[in-house]
Amino acid sequence: MPASASTDPGEVSDLDLVKRSQAGDTRAFDVLVTRYRGRIYAMTYHLIQNETEAWDLAQEAFIKAWRALPSFKHDAGFYTWLYRIAHNVSYDWLRKKKIQGDGEFDDERTEHRVAAGAEATPKGDLAPDAALRNAELGHRIQDAIAKLSPEHRQVIVLREVEGLAYEEIAALIPCSLGTVMSRLFYARKKLQEQLHDVYETSI
Amino acid sequence: MKHPSEEHDLIRWIDGEMSETERTTFEERLKQDPVLATEARQMRALSTSLRAHLPAEMRVPHADYFNTQIEVRITQMALEETRAKQTTPGWSALLQWMRQPWFALTGAAALAVLGFFLVNPATGGASESMILSSYAPNTHVQARTYHDDGAEATVLMLDGLDAVPAERKVSGINIHRSAVEPELASTTMYDHQGTAVFMVSRDALGNPRITPRR
Repeated sequence: MPASASTDPGEVSDLDLVKRSQAGDTRAFDVLVTRYRGRIYAMTYHLIQNETEAWDLAQEAFIKAWRALPSFKHDAGFYTWLYRIAHNVSYDWLRKKKIQGDGEFDDERTEHRVAAGAEATPKGDLAPDAALRNAELGHRIQDAIAKLSPEHRQVIVLREVEGLAYEEIAALIPCSLGTVMSRLFYARKKLQEQLHDVYETSI
Repeated sequence: MKHPSEEHDLIRWIDGEMSETERTTFEERLKQDPVLATEARQMRALSTSLRAHLPAEMRVPHADYFNTQIEVRITQMALEETRAKQTTPGWSALLQWMRQPWFALTGAAALAVLGFFLVNPATGGASESMILSSYAPNTHVQARTYHDDGAEATVLMLDGLDAVPAERKVSGINIHRSAVEPELASTTMYDHQGTAVFMVSRDALGNPRITPRR
């Protein structure tokens, strides 16, 4: 699971802040918000791909965390616990958006016709280092991720951004290990398809 | 379309989730299968680029406002919970926190009574001043006020209170009007010049918080 942020020796520990927050100390909770808002916002942003919505959902995650603090057990790290809340808040939002049918997330329909080695993948050696440093590629990647289904976007963020192990992703979603690997495979294939021209021009 | 086990092998190789034995076996297979090898390299490169362009931490727009809004929401939730438990409307409900044990702990015995004095401009009389809310651990203590326009002062009379040591300095603030701000779940007190003197709100546990405004 995601590790907590590294803290300076003189910095108040998460544990102390959580205990004070559980006693109703909103200032202690404010310190926790400041400490983790950047990471929680990054996660919601990568999942939602909308600055305003991500901002709201990150806030919602902290508020839900505050309400759930009385039930927080100290056997898990605070950030891991908070991250799970933020993930669930964001993913619920994504699913609702999908149900409302906003015309996005259409890759489910094409998932099984993206064959490995098909023309979605570039020819020759892939050495796009120069292109990767290009800011434009960053925008292209964000656009490509925005077109993924919630399920595929979810595993990409959990794996590539947070570096979660397969078992951790399976536990968080929750689903089987096989599903995690399949989703990761097709999500990456889909991204390759989206970024096809970038790879082609870079080699 | 690959067999799921092939997809899984490829993914596990990219993510470094294979054991040493599995990895060696798979890389031998890559040597035999150029198409698979190309695909594996491309997918690994994609994974690298994703990590490079998806930061795990980002600057939060309007970060201070982000925190403030969370605090406001928490305060509102606490107020709503308290209101749900209370039936007394109006000022007495808003300032109910003054009756909480927390407040008793903070007050010195000699200053056991705290009142907000609202000078009522509509009546215009020199003696028109009222206590909006008060708390006294000693229930025999009764608070009254008297406002003197000439002296521009409100006299607080505490009947039933033990003698206050002479060295104890007692002072107060005349509040001319107040304004409730529902969005902030707070009440701001103003003096006769219209200057905000302090804001009364409550933290998430319903404990009082008085924020000086000047």
